Amino acid sequence: MNKLWHVVWHEYRRHVFNRRFVLVSLLSVPLVILVMVGLIYLIISLDVNTTPLGYVDYSGLLVDPVSAPAPEPPDKLVPILPFATEAAARSALDAGQIQAYYILPADYLSTGHLSVVHLGALKTPASSQFYALLTANLLRNTDPVIANRLVKGSEIIVQSPDGSRSISSKNWFNVVIPMVAGIAFIIAMFSTGGYLMQAVVEEKENRTMEVIITSVSPNQFMAGKIIGDTAIGLTQIVLWMVFILIPILVLRNRISFLQGIQIAPQTLFLLFFVMFPAFILVSALMAAIGATVSEAREGQQMVGIISLPIWIPYMLTGSLMSSPNSPLAIGLSLFPLTAPLTMLLRDGLTILPFWQIALSASLQVLCAVAAIWLAGRAFRLGMLRYGKRLKWREVFAKN
Amino acid sequence: MPAVDLSHITKSFGPVKAVDDVSFSVEKGELFGLLGPNGAGKTTSLRVMLDIFKPESGSVAILGGPMNESKKDRIGYMPEERGLYQDIPLDRCLAYLGSLKGLSLADVKQRSTSYLERFDLTAYKTKKVKELSKGMQQKAQVIATLLHQPELLIVDEPFGGLDPVNTQMVKELLLEQHQQGVTIILCSHQMHQVEELCDRIVLIDHGKVMLYGALNDIRHQFSGNAVTLRTADKIPALQGVDRVEPLNGTVKLHLLPGTAPQDVLRSLVAQNVNLEQFEISMPTLDEIFIRVVQGQGTVP
Repeated sequence: MNKLWHVVWHEYRRHVFNRRFVLVSLLSVPLVILVMVGLIYLIISLDVNTTPLGYVDYSGLLVDPVSAPAPEPPDKLVPILPFATEAAARSALDAGQIQAYYILPADYLSTGHLSVVHLGALKTPASSQFYALLTANLLRNTDPVIANRLVKGSEIIVQSPDGSRSISSKNWFNVVIPMVAGIAFIIAMFSTGGYLMQAVVEEKENRTMEVIITSVSPNQFMAGKIIGDTAIGLTQIVLWMVFILIPILVLRNRISFLQGIQIAPQTLFLLFFVMFPAFILVSALMAAIGATVSEAREGQQMVGIISLPIWIPYMLTGSLMSSPNSPLAIGLSLFPLTAPLTMLLRDGLTILPFWQIALSASLQVLCAVAAIWLAGRAFRLGMLRYGKRLKWREVFAKN
Repeated sequence: MPAVDLSHITKSFGPVKAVDDVSFSVEKGELFGLLGPNGAGKTTSLRVMLDIFKPESGSVAILGGPMNESKKDRIGYMPEERGLYQDIPLDRCLAYLGSLKGLSLADVKQRSTSYLERFDLTAYKTKKVKELSKGMQQKAQVIATLLHQPELLIVDEPFGGLDPVNTQMVKELLLEQHQQGVTIILCSHQMHQVEELCDRIVLIDHGKVMLYGALNDIRHQFSGNAVTLRTADKIPALQGVDRVEPLNGTVKLHLLPGTAPQDVLRSLVAQNVNLEQFEISMPTLDEIFIRVVQGQGTVP
C-alpha cells in the first residue's frame, strides 16, 4: 500500500475508532434531535388538558352527533359532553367537571356565531377538537370527496416559471433542507478540521514529526492527512444522515409533512461540487494553522479567522431569504468561504443560474488546491519549529 | 563510495550560522562519531544530511547520490527529540512507523515481536505509549528505528535517558548492527561512549569542523610529548625530560622537544628501574573535546 494511504488509514482509524468521536461527533447531533423532538412532544403533551368540554346546543346541529376523527398523537382525546341547559353546564364548570362549555345559539347555522364560557385559559388542542366535531357534523350530509376537500382547505402551490420547482404548504420543509444540510456539513467540517489541526500540533509537540518526515514526503503526509480528515467528516455526515433518515422513514406514514420531504438533484450537485471542495479547503487551512502554531490553544484562536466568514451567510439569513438574487447574495456565493452556505441557502429559495453554480464550484476547487499547497508549505516550514510560531509572512516569503 | 558525503555545507537560521562550511564523509559499514557541544550544529548537520533542511551552499550525497523518497526506506533515524504517538498502543505505533518505511504488516509484526521480546516490552505492547516509562519509550524508539533493517543508521544521542543496563543493551545492539555491515552515524556529546564505539569522528563546534579523522590519529595528535609510567623505584634524572608530574599513583614525564619516548625507555632500562607500566600518554576524547571547545587545543 502506498505510504499516502497508510497515513490516510492511520488518521481515519485514530479518530473514528475512538470513544470521543463516537460520543461527541456521531451521537451529538442525533441526541440533540432526539432531545428536541422529546421536548416538543413533552410540551404538547403537557399542554393537553383532557378534562371534558361541554356544549349547549340550541341550533339542533349536535342532536345525535357524528364523532370527529381521533386526534393525532401527541394530542389526547378530550371528551365532549352535551348539556341541556346553560345552568347545568355552568354548575358542571364550577364543579370542575368540564374545562369550558360552548353555546350554539338557535341561529348558529345561519350566522356561524357561537360563544364559549371558561374559567381558566382554554388551550388550543381542546378547542380544536370541538371545532373538529362541529366540522364533522356540518359536513355530515355532504359528499365525502367535497367534505374532504373542505376540511383540508386550500393549497397554494408556488411554481417557478419553467416549472422545474414548486413549493406548497405540504412540502415547505424542502426549502430549509439545503440550509440544514449546509449547516450539518459545516459542523462536520469544523469538528473534523479541528481533529486535523490538533493532530498536526500534537505531532509537533510530541516530536513525532521528525521521524515521520524521514519516512514520507511532507506533501504525501499532508495530502494523506487531508484525505483522512475528509473521510472522517464524510463518515460523520453519512452516519448523521442515517440517524435522521431512519426516523423519517419510520414516521413518514404517521406524520404528513414528512411525506413531502425530498432532496433535489441540484442540492446534491451543490453538496458535491461546492461543499466538498469547501471541506477540503477548510481541512487544508486547519492543517496549515496546525503547522504554524506551537500549541493547540493558539490554533483554536486562529480558527475564528476561517469560521467567521463561513458563518456570515447564516447571520445574513434574513437578507438572503428576502432577496436571494441580490448582488450581496451573488457576491457571497462566489467568495470561497461564504459560498457553501450561501449557495445552499439560496438553493432552497431561488433558481440558481448555471453560470453562478459553475463559477462558484470552480473557485471553490481552485481555492482548495491553493489551500493544499499552502498547507504543504506551512508544514514544511513549520514542522520543526518547536515552541515557536511560524509567521504567515514567512509562509508567503519567496525562499 | 562513501555512504554519506557532506561537502562544504552551510546553513543559517536568520543571522545565526548553524553550520559553516562543514565537510566530512562516512564510509560504508563504518561506525562514525559526530561530536560537539550543545548547539554546535550536530543536529542541523544531520537534518541537512537527511534533506529535512536545504543547505544554502554545499552538497550532500547519501547512499550514493542526492536524497530521494526511496532512500528513506533504507535509512533509520532516531532524533534526539524522541517522537512516538502517545495516545495509541505501542504495537500500533510500531506498525504505523514500520509501514511508512515500506514494511508489510506481516513483516512489522514478526520483527516487532522479536524486538519487543529482546527489550522486555512484550507485556506492554498493547499499552498506550503515554503509559510507558521514559526508558521504555526510549527503547520503543530504538525498535522503531531498527524495524526496517536500515543500511544507514543515524542515531542522535541514543543513550540519553537510559539506565546503565539499557545503555549497555543499546550499545551491544549498535555493535551488532555494525558487525552486520550497517553504516552507523552516532551523534553524541558523551565522549566515553563514542570513544568506545567509533573508529572515526568529526567534532563540530560553533558550526565548524574542529577535528576530523581516525580516533587514534586524533589522540596521537593531541598526545603531546609525554609518557606515563608506574614504578616502585625512585625516578632517576633522565636526559630529555623536562618535568616529572605525579599523577594518581603514576608518574607523567613531560619530554623536551626532540626526545622520543623510546629514548626515555632505553634510559630507564639502562638504569635498572623496575617498570610496572610504561605508555605514551594519550589524552582521552573528553580531554581533547574540552581542549578544542575551550580553544585550548589547536586544530591539527
